[in-house]
Amino acid sequence: MANRPDDNPDKFPALGRALMWVERPGGVEKIVYSLYVVCAGLFAADFLYHKHSYLAIEDFPGFYALYGFFMCAALVVCAKAMRLFLKRPEDFYAPKDVESEPFPEDQLERVDYDA
Amino acid sequence: MLETLPTAFLYLLAAPLLALLPRGALRAALLLVVPVLAALQVWSLPLGNLVQVEFFGLTLDLMRVDKLSRIFALIFCIAAFLGNLYAWHVKDVVQQAAALLYAGAAIGAVFAGDLVTLFFYWEGTAISSVFLIWARRTEGAFHTGMRYLIVQIGSGVILLAGVIVMYAETGSIAFERMELGSLATWLIFIAFGMKCAFPLLHNWLQDAYPAATVTGTVILSAFTTKLAVYSLARGFAGTEILIYIGAIMTLFPIFYAVIENDLRRVLAYSLNNQLGFMVVGIGIGTELALNGTAAHAFAHILYKALLFMSVGAVLFRTGTAKGSELGGLYKTMPLTMIFCVIGAASISAFPLFSGFVTKSLILSAAAKEHYYIIWGILLFASAGVFHHSGIKIPYFAFFAHDSGKRPKEAPWNMLLAMGLASFLCIAVGVYPAPLYALLPFEVDYDSYTTTHVITQLQLLFFSALAFTVLMRTGIYPPELKSVNLDTDWTYRRLLPRLIGWIAGPVGAMFWGLDNAKGAWLQGLIVRLYHAYGPQGRTSQFWPTGAMVLWIAVLLGVALMVSYVS
Repeated sequence: MANRPDDNPDKFPALGRALMWVERPGGVEKIVYSLYVVCAGLFAADFLYHKHSYLAIEDFPGFYALYGFFMCAALVVCAKAMRLFLKRPEDFYAPKDVESEPFPEDQLERVDYDA
Repeated sequence: MLETLPTAFLYLLAAPLLALLPRGALRAALLLVVPVLAALQVWSLPLGNLVQVEFFGLTLDLMRVDKLSRIFALIFCIAAFLGNLYAWHVKDVVQQAAALLYAGAAIGAVFAGDLVTLFFYWEGTAISSVFLIWARRTEGAFHTGMRYLIVQIGSGVILLAGVIVMYAETGSIAFERMELGSLATWLIFIAFGMKCAFPLLHNWLQDAYPAATVTGTVILSAFTTKLAVYSLARGFAGTEILIYIGAIMTLFPIFYAVIENDLRRVLAYSLNNQLGFMVVGIGIGTELALNGTAAHAFAHILYKALLFMSVGAVLFRTGTAKGSELGGLYKTMPLTMIFCVIGAASISAFPLFSGFVTKSLILSAAAKEHYYIIWGILLFASAGVFHHSGIKIPYFAFFAHDSGKRPKEAPWNMLLAMGLASFLCIAVGVYPAPLYALLPFEVDYDSYTTTHVITQLQLLFFSALAFTVLMRTGIYPPELKSVNLDTDWTYRRLLPRLIGWIAGPVGAMFWGLDNAKGAWLQGLIVRLYHAYGPQGRTSQFWPTGAMVLWIAVLLGVALMVSYVS
């Protein structure tokens, strides 16, 4: 997350400046570690209340947590493998496709903070 | 007067008015007034068949107002209002008229009490909406629009065929619940399925929606597919095959969404996945499930529009919506980022956001009716949708690596539209009672139980954990400039190639035959010319006098014969 050399954060909106702490050293670590803590807490919560379940499998401690984690990991790994067969260059269907075309400039309103 | 005018006509009559108004605020205001008036009308209408007309000996029901059609018409009005507010800055009258006609046709179709009216409006949505794609005015958009139009019109033609067969068999054109089995009902089912983006019939959606204009995609996302969901709920509630079709629909798009680079196409895939939940609800067909489908459609239109708006705003300011080109925009577009996160939280069904109180109706219905595998698939799809819509979209657009782009915040009208949509997403999530009151059946359901909140949070936070772990270990696939093959490859590459291969030999054969025939004919003509032409052998040495002589001889012979006899 490198800033541009000619960056002038003073011109950014106040809300954007306030959020820039995530880029300071350790900012990302703070988010990641809080996620770990929340996850640990939620896992532990399973032992602290009575679960109303429809299915037997739901009563397995941390079922939703484990299901979410492993299914998502499997999803990403499978999708990554799909790329081997399905990925094509951006202009594969050109010119009958919008993917490799620039978006028409007259329909945009580009304004750059540093310009 | 408002009671006797079908709601759709409000939109259809306003569209020509646009041309009379001067370009600018007045015209944009009309685009906002029409949905408000229409919503007020829908809100105040009594239930029942309100408007009937005679048409070639058929009685058409233009306004069947019941609880199912009313909730869809209301959310269509809200979506039209938000979309038009988002498009306040657009000066292009083609897009403005298309937006009005499209919304009007969709609302007309929802209120259609018979299949002929449904067909007219069904085609109306197809023809009006394609202009939102063509309005991009590039070669690629033209071809994409053509493909879209062929599929949409094809769906309408199949619907018409089904209606005709049904009329021939039963003598009725009423649009009521149907039982799959006859040719007619299958045709109608497939027509609905094409518009609903059933697996293998789905690819028009991912092809066309990212090709529309910035504002066009927002408007497109609301109507066509949800009209199909409504039609299925009306016509095929409790049809078991829909459960399995819906489950596949929730499943396969999430894989594509993970590796897709164009963020608007990622959203199109997740739209497809969300439709799957609704289709499962229709297939289960219990009161709880159908309530779930209607409620989820309502919530879905809002958060999907919100997500398309936020990515559209990024496109509007940077000229691209591709994950590989974006990143670090939170610094200069913080409000857009926050609205995007609210949409992401809603689609992911975080507690206090709209998806949480609507999707759970469908999941509970699946578990209650003992569809355990389906329930497991829907749970996986819920985690998956958080993964690609909830995390991927905001992360790659606004965070991730810094792209160096420093675009200005979205214009006021876009921020206002996104703010309103965000407000509605949270309002539905925090206080679902008014939405539940609008649903087709009585609701006896509380989504905010301890079990539900904690299990849902576990599912979502551990999905986020999986994303974090995969990202930090470098396993997560990076955003790459690429396209991925989907079923559209069959008609964009395979079929043209096949036709090319077949055309070669068949063409050569015809060419050879043609040549041989030509040569033979040529020879015949030359020979005839040689024999009978002015210089031909038969024309030589034959003076006119010879014929007179021979006629004289003939007459002489005839005279002699008559004397002798």
